[in-house]
Amino acid sequence: MSNVASKAYGLTILSPIREKIAQGVSGSVLTRSVIEDLKLHQHSPFAKVANTYLARLYVLNDVMFQGYPEQEDHLKSKYLVFASNFYGDLDEYLTGLWHGAQADVKQIWAHCYDFESVTDEASFLIYMKKCQLETTFFFNGSVGLGEDDISLNEQLKALYLKQEFAKFVWNNQSLSPNELKAAFIEFSHITQPNQPEPSWAPGHSDIAQG
Amino acid sequence: MSNIAGKTFAMNVITPIKGVNFYINKVIFWFANTKLASSRLGGLATLSLIHYARWVLIGKDQFPHLHPDQPKEDLHYNYMLFHSNFNGSWDQYVDSFHKAIPKGLDLLWRKNVKYPGSVPLQPFHAYINFNQIWTSHYYSAYPSAAVNDVKSAKKVKTALVALTDKVETLSDQAFKEAYDEMLIDLQHDVSVMEDTPVVSLASQAVKDRRAKYQETISMNSDKVIPIQRTANK
Amino acid sequence: MTLDINDIQGNIIKAYGHFNLPKVRYVFLKVANPDVGRAFIQALLDQDFITRAGSWSSKNPAAITTNIAFTYNGLKILGVPSASLSTFPSEFSEGMKTRRSILGDDGISSPEHWDPIWQNDENIHIWMSFNGRTTEDVINRYNDVKELIDSLDEFNGEAGVELLSGHRAANGKLQDYQEGAALEINGLPTRKEHFGFDDGISDPFFKGCGQPAAYVVGGGKPKASASDSGVDLTSPNSWAPLETGEFILGHHDEASEIPLAPIPHDLSKNGSFMVYRKLHENVKAFNDYLDNLSEDYAEGREALAAKMVGRWKNGAPLASFPTEAEATIFGDKYAAAVANLGKGANAQENIANLKVFQDLDIQLRGFNYNADIEGSSCPMGAHIRRTNPRGALEFGVEDAYQTPGALIDRRRILRRGLPYGKFERGATNDNGDHGIIFMAINASIKRQFEFVQQQWVNYGNDFKLANDRDPILGNHPTDEHTGCPMGRMIIEGSKEEKKAPFFCGNIPRFVETRGGDYFFIPSMTAVQLIANGIVDPT
Repeated sequence: MSNVASKAYGLTILSPIREKIAQGVSGSVLTRSVIEDLKLHQHSPFAKVANTYLARLYVLNDVMFQGYPEQEDHLKSKYLVFASNFYGDLDEYLTGLWHGAQADVKQIWAHCYDFESVTDEASFLIYMKKCQLETTFFFNGSVGLGEDDISLNEQLKALYLKQEFAKFVWNNQSLSPNELKAAFIEFSHITQPNQPEPSWAPGHSDIAQG
Repeated sequence: MSNIAGKTFAMNVITPIKGVNFYINKVIFWFANTKLASSRLGGLATLSLIHYARWVLIGKDQFPHLHPDQPKEDLHYNYMLFHSNFNGSWDQYVDSFHKAIPKGLDLLWRKNVKYPGSVPLQPFHAYINFNQIWTSHYYSAYPSAAVNDVKSAKKVKTALVALTDKVETLSDQAFKEAYDEMLIDLQHDVSVMEDTPVVSLASQAVKDRRAKYQETISMNSDKVIPIQRTANK
Repeated sequence: MTLDINDIQGNIIKAYGHFNLPKVRYVFLKVANPDVGRAFIQALLDQDFITRAGSWSSKNPAAITTNIAFTYNGLKILGVPSASLSTFPSEFSEGMKTRRSILGDDGISSPEHWDPIWQNDENIHIWMSFNGRTTEDVINRYNDVKELIDSLDEFNGEAGVELLSGHRAANGKLQDYQEGAALEINGLPTRKEHFGFDDGISDPFFKGCGQPAAYVVGGGKPKASASDSGVDLTSPNSWAPLETGEFILGHHDEASEIPLAPIPHDLSKNGSFMVYRKLHENVKAFNDYLDNLSEDYAEGREALAAKMVGRWKNGAPLASFPTEAEATIFGDKYAAAVANLGKGANAQENIANLKVFQDLDIQLRGFNYNADIEGSSCPMGAHIRRTNPRGALEFGVEDAYQTPGALIDRRRILRRGLPYGKFERGATNDNGDHGIIFMAINASIKRQFEFVQQQWVNYGNDFKLANDRDPILGNHPTDEHTGCPMGRMIIEGSKEEKKAPFFCGNIPRFVETRGGDYFFIPSMTAVQLIANGIVDPT
């Protein structure tokens, strides 16, 4: 039972929400409103958190009664669920979350029990680990046979290169060897395969054709 | 709400489960016995539709309890929480899995209360739908990339770096030969990525409306009205 | 299993084009008044116009057939109650035009460019087809039905049932029918479409379809896995019939159940759903593209065309006949065998001639891609490989899935349409009347036709081809700044032969949507229920 598959870490955070905020105001309603309003793609708070491959937020209202003859269960609290698949080490990730998207974090978790104890990086890590659930089975479909996940920056660079090279291939068919080599050298100067930049930005969703 | 981030779809399912200890043992056994696993779930890798999928067993006492004000949970069942990130719409996804790896699905869901089995399709589809929770915020670092793109990109990068490293040392003819050889190897890795196909009118309409709406709202923390917490007894 | 072939409309089970019914007219009717509409349907039944699958035998073949189908709006106006209508699938109630973004009908294929008849599609209620042996047969039945419509009562000064006009024909003329016919080349009927390819070779084989047993080859679901060696793909033992429920409602389908169908069951059982699409073919653009690109493609123009389709023009599949030479040899033998049918000196010779023909004919359908996982013979993105992968989605992994056909058995469609317009070898522009009336019949429009159109024709992820599209059918994009066509296709190379892949770029749209909608084909029982106005799901 592992939170890690290859180099990807699967984080599951269930944070109980304080419902009674004020007369006529529920913590879960407020929390949901905050997370629904978060901007998407490259403007998401998670675009600012290093090594986040995929992340999600939702409110777990309750469990579902499956019908007679099963028993009816109800949760006594609602939970803010945060699930993230990221590259690397948990502590580094949580630190990155705290420093990269602090204002958003404070808003998102504002109505959760015990979040008032979070005042700094250290207390944030403690809080998150109290909310963490262990993964029982983790299927990693992002790696080929015998391969490992790579850091997000490397992954984005790889995708950038794939896209740019795809366009290059189409635009440079039927060239003479001399022309082709020159074109490829120019391509490598522009795209810098060995360097981290240029690359795709995290969450980048506008794909221009070329 | 959105279960979609570009080409990737999110799914969350929580189901009650009996006898969690027994199940954990089964899973341990299964981990140890990779041959069993690969015959039931080998198809998952070939399907190449899932980025990451996770199953989390939550014992009835394991829901986080952080504060004296928070009531303790009092549940009859243990729970299994399933999170998946995959390509293709939900309908397309469930159809593929149910046909391709029905035994694998059964292995994972079998201890769940009222699980009807992955075959035939309609009861299985209804079971997942019934227990599904929709995502409020879904983020992908590479929304334009499907799983196949993520995997093939690594291959392309490795090959390009290798060729770039030696290009200056090669004659024109030798370069062309090396380039062609690389292309044969990468012929299924060099298709251009574009937008995701529209899988449903509902999600397209929301996407269009959001694009208009997002221009006007702001996440500036000044605009959020702080709520006073009343002291709880 | 045996189906009630007197309850099922003929066009579901029989591809009329293969039954010497190569001429067709399609008409679309508006119902202004439900009483008149129902009276019309009753009159069709009284005159025994509607053709059932059991309507003729080989001793007494039909010269003319007539079939009927309804849009959601059509069922509604004819009085099918909303409690019943709400149990029809949502894609059917929305209609094809509304679902344009799912189908990729954008740009030049957008509804604003469709034939005038489709501009007020809320008026499209009833579809009818008249398939006949000769044009005269078709026109006679068309006239009979037209007379019937004219004889009906008026309603508020307007016709109770109206034959709608607005189909663009040659020279831009607008007609009140859409014509179609098997293409004639040099005066002889062929099964070609306008790009010059033999079409309609493959047809799904399902339990109860009544086709000769040999047609399970290629038509049924594949049993041979990539790991099986020495399998004879032309043998019926390598294929199994598909479940009836994939094509006819109320029957066991490939998901091991009888799927949900509209209620009451008498309304839906033995019926099906039909997709009608008028697809214009840009023949000149296709030929120009081949002319240009074949200058760079070593194997030549015919090979380039074959790589895009997955078959040579004579129908030989690339998977079995990778080179032009092999395909030509096959084609010559096949043509000779066809010519010899029935021409033997005696009955024995005729039987032998028939066998020669059948052994060749089966090769058109009896193949898969297990020996060509890399796509060196038939590209992964070729048209026929996309629309029917035949187990190729296992990517050569031994027993990857429960069955080799796991990902495709639920994506098959029956094709029942015909080309329209006259064959023009040297078309000088693309404004001509050349195309195909694409008619697909399936139990679920969304799961079958729409899935193939969206995921396999206008997208490429399942084939590891990112966003590449079907070269022939795909809605290739254009560069928004330069207007340059941006379609792409890879013709795979070969590791063994050290042959580099060839990249086809700047592919324009060869096919444009010019109209269409989604229809429900009821059983005879259901047609009677609708005519009586007594559908009631209470």
